[in-house]
Order: sequence, then structure tokens, then C-alpha cells
Amino acid sequence: MASMKFYCDAERCIECNACVTACKNEHDIPWGVNRRRVVTIKDGEQGERSLSVACMHCADAPCAAVCPVDCFYTTGDGIVLHDKDICIGCGYCFYACPFGAPQFPESSAFSSRGKMDKCTFCAGGPEDDHSSEEYKKYGRNRVSEGKLPLCAEMCATKALLAGDADVLSDIYRKRVINRGASAFEWGVNQLKG
Amino acid sequence: MVYFLQEYFFNCFTRSASIILLSLSLLLPQLSNAAIPQKHEDFPQGVSAINPGSELWREVRQRDSAVTGISQVKGVETGVLINSRGGQWARFRIENPVKYAPMVLGVVFLVLVLFYVLRGKVGIEGGLSGQMVKRFTEYECIVHWTLAIVFLFLAVTGLILLVGRPLLIPLFGKEIFSLIASASKEGHNLFGPIFLVSLLMMLFSFVKRNIYEKGDLAWLLKGGGFIGDGHVSGGFFNMGEKTWYWIVILIGLVISISGLVLVSPNFGQGRLVMEISHLVHVFGAIILTAISIGHMYMGSIGTEGSLEGMKSGYVDINWVEAHHDRWAKECHENEMVISAEEYARLQGSKPDTAMEKEA
Repeated sequence: MASMKFYCDAERCIECNACVTACKNEHDIPWGVNRRRVVTIKDGEQGERSLSVACMHCADAPCAAVCPVDCFYTTGDGIVLHDKDICIGCGYCFYACPFGAPQFPESSAFSSRGKMDKCTFCAGGPEDDHSSEEYKKYGRNRVSEGKLPLCAEMCATKALLAGDADVLSDIYRKRVINRGASAFEWGVNQLKG
Repeated sequence: MVYFLQEYFFNCFTRSASIILLSLSLLLPQLSNAAIPQKHEDFPQGVSAINPGSELWREVRQRDSAVTGISQVKGVETGVLINSRGGQWARFRIENPVKYAPMVLGVVFLVLVLFYVLRGKVGIEGGLSGQMVKRFTEYECIVHWTLAIVFLFLAVTGLILLVGRPLLIPLFGKEIFSLIASASKEGHNLFGPIFLVSLLMMLFSFVKRNIYEKGDLAWLLKGGGFIGDGHVSGGFFNMGEKTWYWIVILIGLVISISGLVLVSPNFGQGRLVMEISHLVHVFGAIILTAISIGHMYMGSIGTEGSLEGMKSGYVDINWVEAHHDRWAKECHENEMVISAEEYARLQGSKPDTAMEKEA
């Protein structure tokens, strides 16, 4: 069985935020909710890097462990999904998540946040595939059509990769080997002056 | 509670320390390799091909020196790339309060059952006299019962949210439990602020009589009457009641303040603030609930004549002699004791006066 993962290559990401926009558009996500975001570290300094983050579909997900109503489940493809009919909007998953992935449509007094919303790896939810209910609650279900998440599919620099973990690590390993060679060359040239 | 928090922060510290050690051990082979080509004329200082980003990622991953970035997405801590504390908080919550809260409350309950079986109801020497003294005004009774009912509601709904997943989902299934939990969450959030209001009313209406005084140490040394025979001396409130009052006020305030932080995510406080508030809230609530079970026992089936005091505001003079001898003297001096007939008339006349007012 496949284990679906995202991988974002910091040496390629150019902080164009196209993945964020594509995700919002594809799933018709309400204002204020962002299933994906791009974080830039050391902005404007030497060594600046950007990364696109969303739910990383952890194998041992802290959100699923902490949820007081047990609304999370992992699909056969290793995608972590949740049932909005069971979610009570307590926000514990947001505190537990390392990546800040869970989102809430509201944040007002008396802790009314609405049902949690997060990246589904474009795999919908527990409702019937392609039903209007599913689209309303979770957005488009691309995985059932044999497609990968749109954010990764349309990434211009191919920084954001999505798919089976083995395939992703193969691609990344090749990139690292190539970069290692060029970094070595760069180092040698530096020393030669 | 302090111990749990210490453990929590100690875990944070040891984890980051182990990451530093791990990264050091990864660096060591590279350092020794770097020493080898020193003989070579072309590379007098050696070449180390450490990934230029590795330093950065180590900083990002380490929670104590978290490097915060920026993001076009605006919101709570959107610039934080990795927040590893959250997972620790989740694990701590599951392994401590969720696991031990039912045990602590169960043990308190069993101890009281055992105490009741062994010692029975604590009676009054000579029985009830029928002569009564007014101990609490109607307002004070209303304050007490408002706080009591709101507290019980919050304790039950809070426990449903805390231990419902391991204990109630197997009974009801996820769908039905989700309805219960959702109602509990909304109810808990709405009644929480009312708890603070009634707690402040409790604070102001009872504070004068709950300041510790001279005779209280003697009460403590005699173990409140549980150790040895004979009466323990007490004023209007004895030392045990005063201590319970201050526990309610202090832990109640801690729970209320941490609860207000949790109930208003609209002020954009970070996840660490929420996690600490949650732990303070949950441990305070478990301690207060555990002690309140003892209070409920002593106020009802544990001690003869106590419940009457909070129901009507009047207590039997023999009960006062037994538990509050110093206040009993005052009652006699000020001629506050009323006869059984007078008490019956006062109790009986209440509906009449109410009807007269309506008429």
C-alpha cells in the first residue's frame, strides 16, 4: 500500500504562493481559512529559504491522538482525514499539530470556531466520492480520479512534490546527489580563489 | 500540579538537549574527515561539504530557539514552521490528566464510602433541640447554590470532554458521543463566565468571616475532630470550612482565568499560552472536583444538621454547640436563638407573605 506524502524542496521554492491560491480555488475554501501556507525564514537575509506547509499526513498524527471525539482516520493510502460531522471545533488539534495545519472558519468569544478544516491531500472526506456534500465540506476529491493534489501538480519549480513516499524520496535523493556534486565544486572554486 | 508542569518543561528541555547531542554526533565524522586532506597542498584548510541549509533547519526544528519566519497567510503563529511542543502537550494530556482524573475521583469516592461505612453519620450529642439560629441570609444561600450548581455542571461537562473518548465512545459510539461532547463544549463555554461571576459573589459575601483567627490552629492540631475524642473549638466558620473557602476562591480564580484564556481564541494568543492554560485549567479542576466531593459528603450525609443550614439558612443550636462553640456563645449572648415554634412559624409564613405581596 502506498504512503502518501508531501515534500517541499527548500532549494527550489520561490515563495510564489501559487500552491496556496490553487488550493483555495480548487476547494472553494472560505475567507480566512488557508489549508496551505508558505513560510519564509530569514526573509531578506543571506540564507533565506521558503517552504510550503500544510497537513503533512503524519503516520502517527498528534491531532488524531489528542482529538477528544476521535474524528480523525487514516485512509489506506496513508492520508489523514477527518469527519466534520463528528468534529466539535475544540481546537485541540491546532495546539497539537507541529505544522499549524488545522484551520477554523471563525474565531470569536465563547470559543466558537466552527468545524475544523484542513488539507485533505485532495482526497475528500468520509462522504460518497464526488457527492455535493463531500464537495461542500471537504472540497474536490482528486485522488479518487487518480490525480495528485493540485498544489503539487501545478508547482512551477517542482519544489512541492506529492505522492508515494518511496517515489518522492527517490526523486529527492537524485536532487541531493546532484547538488552535493555542485556544492563540492563550488567549495573547491572558493578555496582556489 | 507544579510537579506535572515541572515534568512538562523538563521534557521540553531534555528533548532539545538530545537533539543537540544527536546533531553533534552527526557533525563529528565530518570534522575528522575534514582533517585528512590537510596534507594536500591544494586544500590547506580542508573541504567540508556541509549542506549550507543544515544549520538553519536545525534552528527551525529546535523548539527553544525557534526561528520564526513570515508568511503571506495572516493568523495565529503562521510564521512558525515547526512547533514540536504541541505534540508533547498532546502526549502529556493523554498520559496524565486523561488517565489519572477518573482514578483520582474514583479513589476519593471510594474513601468516602469506606468512611461512611466505618464511622457513619457524624451525629450531634443530645440530638437536635429544635431551637434554631439564623446562620445564613437568603442571599448567601442563593450565592452558594448558584456556585454549586454551575460548578457541578462545569465539572460534569468538563469531565465528558476530558475522559469521554476512552470511557464514553465505547458505550455510545462516535456519532452520539459527538452530540454529547458538542453540547458539553458549548455549555461549558457559556457557563464558565457565570462561574466566575458567582465565585466573585461568594468571595465578597463570605470573605469577612473566613479570615483565619486565633483558635484555628487548635482546630488543625486536633485534626478537625477526626483525631481523638472531644469537641474541637470553632467560630462562625471552623478552620476546615475556612480552608475550603480559600481553596474554592483561589483554585476557582485560577480555573476561571485560565478558562477565560481558553474560551477567547479571538485575541490571537499563541499555542504555548493555550497549552499551559489548558494544563493549569485541567489540574485545578481535578483538584477542586476531588475536594468538592468531600465537601458534598460532609454537607449532606456526612454530618447531621449541616444541609439544613444551607437549605433554610437556620441551624440547630445543638449543632452550633457541637461544631462552632465560640459562635454559640455569641448566639446566646445576643439572644439569636429562636424556639421551635417561632422557627416553624417563620418557615410556614413564607408562602403567606409571598402571596400577600402578590395580592
